[in-house]
Amino acid sequence: MAAQTVPLKRTAHPNPKTGFWPRPNERVVFGLLGFVLVLGTWELVSSSEYGLGLVKRVLLSSPTLILDAAITDISSGAIWPHIIESGKEYVFGFGAALVTGIPLGLAIGWFRRLNYVLDPWLSAIYATPTVALIPLIILIFGIDLGAKIVVVWLEAIFVITVSTTTGVKAADAKYHDIAESFRASNWTVFRTVTLPASVPYILTGVRLGTGRALVGVVVSEFLAANAGIGFYIALNGSFFSSARVFFGIILLGALGITLGELVRVVEKRFDRWRPAIS
Amino acid sequence: MTDTQIALDARAVQFYYEDPTTHERLLAIEKMDLEINVGEFVSIVGPSGCGKSTFLKIVNGLLPTYDGEISVLEPDHGRAHAMVFQDSALFPWYSIVSNVAYGLTCQGVPKKEAHARAMPFIEMVGLTGFETKYPYQLSGGMQQRANLARALTVDPEILLMDEPFAALDAQTRELMQAELLRIWHQAQKTVLFITHQIDEAIYLSDRVIVMSARPGRILADIRVDLPRPRELKIKRSPAFVALTDQIWSLITPQLHDDAPATGVAS
Ligand SMILES: Nc1ncnc2c1ncn2[C@@H]1O[C@H](COP(=O)(O)OP(=O)(O)O)[C@@H](O)[C@H]1O
Ligand SMILES: [Mg+2]
Repeated sequence: MAAQTVPLKRTAHPNPKTGFWPRPNERVVFGLLGFVLVLGTWELVSSSEYGLGLVKRVLLSSPTLILDAAITDISSGAIWPHIIESGKEYVFGFGAALVTGIPLGLAIGWFRRLNYVLDPWLSAIYATPTVALIPLIILIFGIDLGAKIVVVWLEAIFVITVSTTTGVKAADAKYHDIAESFRASNWTVFRTVTLPASVPYILTGVRLGTGRALVGVVVSEFLAANAGIGFYIALNGSFFSSARVFFGIILLGALGITLGELVRVVEKRFDRWRPAIS
Repeated sequence: MTDTQIALDARAVQFYYEDPTTHERLLAIEKMDLEINVGEFVSIVGPSGCGKSTFLKIVNGLLPTYDGEISVLEPDHGRAHAMVFQDSALFPWYSIVSNVAYGLTCQGVPKKEAHARAMPFIEMVGLTGFETKYPYQLSGGMQQRANLARALTVDPEILLMDEPFAALDAQTRELMQAELLRIWHQAQKTVLFITHQIDEAIYLSDRVIVMSARPGRILADIRVDLPRPRELKIKRSPAFVALTDQIWSLITPQLHDDAPATGVAS
């Protein structure tokens, strides 16, 4: 049988640097497309002015109504006290969770016996929905800022602590051998092996914590408050002002995304030593 | 220096691993005697799991519960010994210079000074220009150069090397063997080198110690009288091949396929 050569199909290399406009990023294009599709459908279904008005506006509101409510409450300044109140609860509560949760996690991971003492308690509290503790916290701390800070702290601390402890224990034994081989003191082992090895775990805990803290803010404001985004949502819900309810939800979502990105920036800073993923 | 000083003297060294839960004991090394002179390059070869790493860890002080006697020469400066670990033993979160300076950091030397003192060794192993890179940015061979520099930085009398080239590809491995001989000559160290490659052991060493399967005992102590400096082509000389055959015939009976390669035997 005679061998035959077949020419390979050739295509030109696309060069991303040519052309006046930067090449659009597929991720951005399709992301925006999805956004437009959802909002457009929503508006079409619910708005009586710009759409079909198939659903009562009190149930689903509509993108234009929400925008309207947002502009009204921002320009009148009515929304700011709520944002500030929630912000305070978040900053103090989550800050306290960081300052206590990370050292606690490091200590539990480092001191075996401390782990034996605390582990049953942590597991039990970790498994309990913290929301169930809110009535008790209100009983003890009242309904002021203090009580909410405690709720936020409680919501966030466990995931931070547990993740940090996991990180300390996950440090490869090989690195401990090396440190020991060079006669590192306990403190040097902690500083040069334990801490760097657990940073990714700590940051994972912190990121999960940001979400939980936000839940803490909202839930505690639902139950007892006279200001805050959660209070704003609950209040407007009872007035059947669904546009404002949605505005509050969007504020929370935006806050959540911002915090997530903030953690990502910190993670990047610590990730110099790892091969870039994606 | 007096003509022959002893750098390491191990007598009847024996070691058991103990299972922490069942307390079952596993004899890893049985009655090992080994004497190494200052400046000598000695290799240990033996089947996987025979206790080579264990012996090195004992010498390095990582396994203090051994039986027997070990004495090492305490030099006027630097350390008695330092370990070059198996592959990817650099701290991934430190730059190359911080990794190389690690031993000094452990001695409490301030960062700036430690880095400055690490520089000559980075140069010696041929890593100039890579100081600020992270380990993942280096090839396996370069990582092992840094690993070697880290041990050299604390100025040890004996370099303990545990299969440092095992993970490298064949060509890089040969290159690193030649490099190691150059550095050994330049740094004037005693080397205790572990490998399971017979030709590597012969090429590098003044003496090759052959160990039995577990529990590890010394089967033979073979002098390698090949002239130095050695070029890589010496591996094809009749004397080299004869030594290889001799060591092979000692090791082959030790290789039974039921021997666990790694892990704890119950
Ligand atoms: N930490 C340990 N605990 C229990 N057994 C071990 C431990 N490390 C090694 N061993 C066992 O001791 C024997 C010798 O191990 P090792 O010194 O690592 O062998 P080599 O380096 O020659 O391959 C092996 O059978 C291994 O399974
Ligand atoms: Mg080994």
